[in-house]
Amino acid sequence: MVDDDKFTVLKNPSLQEAKTIIEKSFLNKTTLVVAGNCKVIYDGRASSKLDFGERLIIVKRDRAILVHRSKGYEPVNWQPSGCILHVKIIKNSIQISAIRHNPREMLKVIFNKIFMLSTLLLDDSADFTLFASEKDMHQAILIKPSLVEKGLKPISYEKKVTPGFIDVYGVDKNGKLVIIEVKRKNAGKEAVLQLANYIKAIETKANRDIRGIIVAPNISKGVQRLLMSLNLEFIALDPRLCAKVLKKTENAKLETYFYKKN
Amino acid sequence: MNQIFKLKISEAKLLRDMANAISILIDEATFKIDEEGLKLRAMDPSRVAMIDFEWPKTIFEEYECVSPSKICINISELLKLLRRAGKSEAVNLSLDEKTGQLQIVVTGKYKRSFTMPTLEAVEEEVPTPKIDFNVKAKTTTQGLSQAIDDAQLVSDHVRIEADSDKLLFIASGDLMGAKITLQKGSETLLDLETKEASKATFSLSYLSEIIKAASATSEIATLEFSTDMPIRIDFQQAKQGKLIFFLAPRIETD
Repeated sequence: MVDDDKFTVLKNPSLQEAKTIIEKSFLNKTTLVVAGNCKVIYDGRASSKLDFGERLIIVKRDRAILVHRSKGYEPVNWQPSGCILHVKIIKNSIQISAIRHNPREMLKVIFNKIFMLSTLLLDDSADFTLFASEKDMHQAILIKPSLVEKGLKPISYEKKVTPGFIDVYGVDKNGKLVIIEVKRKNAGKEAVLQLANYIKAIETKANRDIRGIIVAPNISKGVQRLLMSLNLEFIALDPRLCAKVLKKTENAKLETYFYKKN
Repeated sequence: MNQIFKLKISEAKLLRDMANAISILIDEATFKIDEEGLKLRAMDPSRVAMIDFEWPKTIFEEYECVSPSKICINISELLKLLRRAGKSEAVNLSLDEKTGQLQIVVTGKYKRSFTMPTLEAVEEEVPTPKIDFNVKAKTTTQGLSQAIDDAQLVSDHVRIEADSDKLLFIASGDLMGAKITLQKGSETLLDLETKEASKATFSLSYLSEIIKAASATSEIATLEFSTDMPIRIDFQQAKQGKLIFFLAPRIETD
C-alpha cells in the first residue's frame, strides 16, 4: 500500500479496508478508482441490471460516477455530478450507491471482489482548448479567404476530382484558378505530390492558368525545392488562427433567461 | 365510471393540429386541467425551446372537469390516433380515475373508441423567460414560413434583424448567402414596432419545425425579440386560445 496526501493505492483490499478508504474518499472529495468484480443496478427513468463482471468504476470529485466495462469508450452506466454517495458492506460484498433526487435515480454497484482501489487528489485547473481540425481550416478559409491571400474568392470545397478531393478551390484576384491543399501539421512530400496530381487532373478541363497552394502551419525541410520545381506555392497558416475565425456558435439554454438580465 | 374530466372537441382537426405543434418540442406532455381550461408549458429535452399553450374551456363543445389535475400523455401516440380521425369528426376525451387510462372517442360516420395509458406527470413548473423585447413584428404565418424556407436553402441558422421599417432574415452558409426583406406594411409584415434596432441568430431546424407546425393552427404570428435574446413567437389563436413558443438564440462560444 502506498499512502500519502496525494494518492492511495490498495491491492486486493479486504471489504473493511476498502469501505474505510472509500468513505474517506467520499468525505474528502478525492477521485476514486475501483477495479473489481461487480454487478450494477440502475433504477430511475429507466431501469437496468448488469450481472457480475470485472469492471472499472470511477467516482470523480464532483460526485459523478462512471462504470466502465473492459471495452468501448462510453461508460455502461453513469450518474452526472452532484450525486449523494453511500458505501456499505452487505454480507460478503460491498455496495456503492449514487442517488440523485431530481429526477429520482439510483445507481448501485455491488462488488464481491476488489482487485485494486485508488484515491487520487488530482490538481487540474487548465483550460481546455480545442485547436482547429483540417476541416475547420477549410471552413475558416471559406469564411475569411484573406487568411490565404488578398483577393482570393473560394468557389467550392471538398471538390471531387479523379485522384481525390480538392480541399478548397477558388479564383485569385487575377482570375487564375487556385487549388488549395490544407494540412493541419507540417506539409510533407506527399501533400505536395497530391496537390500536383490534382492540378494535373484539372488542367485538362480548365482553360486558364492554375495555381497550386499548400496551406499549412509549416513545410517540411527539403520539400521546398520540390515545391518550386513543380511550380507550386506554400502559405503558412496557423490552425489556431483558423479556430479564432470560426467563432463557433451553439444554442443557448432558455433557463439563462428566466430571470431578468437585460 | 368515475371520470376526472370529460371534454368534447367538435372538429378533430383542431386537436390534431395542436397535438402536432406540441409534438415538435415535447414527447411526453404534462397538461394541467382545471375548471378554466387546459394548459401546458414545457421545454424541449435540450432546453433550447419552450411551448406555452392554453385552451380555455370555450374552445370545447363540452367541458367538464371534476377536480383540477395533471395528466401526462405521450403526444406522438395520441397523434397517431388522431390522424385516424376525419377532419370534422368530433372527439371526446375523458380520463378514468381508477385505471388512469385516457379514453379517446372519435364520432363520425362510425364510432371509434381508443384507450391509452397516462404517464407520471412532471412536477417541474417552468417559468417563462423575462425579457424586455425591443422589436415586435406581426407577420402572416405563410410569409414567415416562406422566409424560413428561403433561408434554409443556404444555412442551418438565420439572423433575424429589425430596424424601424423592415424585418430581415439573413442566412449565410459556407458559400451561399440569403437575405429576405419584409417591408413594414407589406402583405407579409402587417405591423412592426421597433424600440431599438435588434438582431439575434436562431437555429433554423427549430424555427422551421415550430413555424411549420404552428402555422396549421394560425394565420398570424407575432415575433418579439431583442439583440442576442430568446425570440417569442405568439401564434394567434381563435377563442382566446394561446400558443406561444420561445426559442433561445445561438450564441458564440469560446
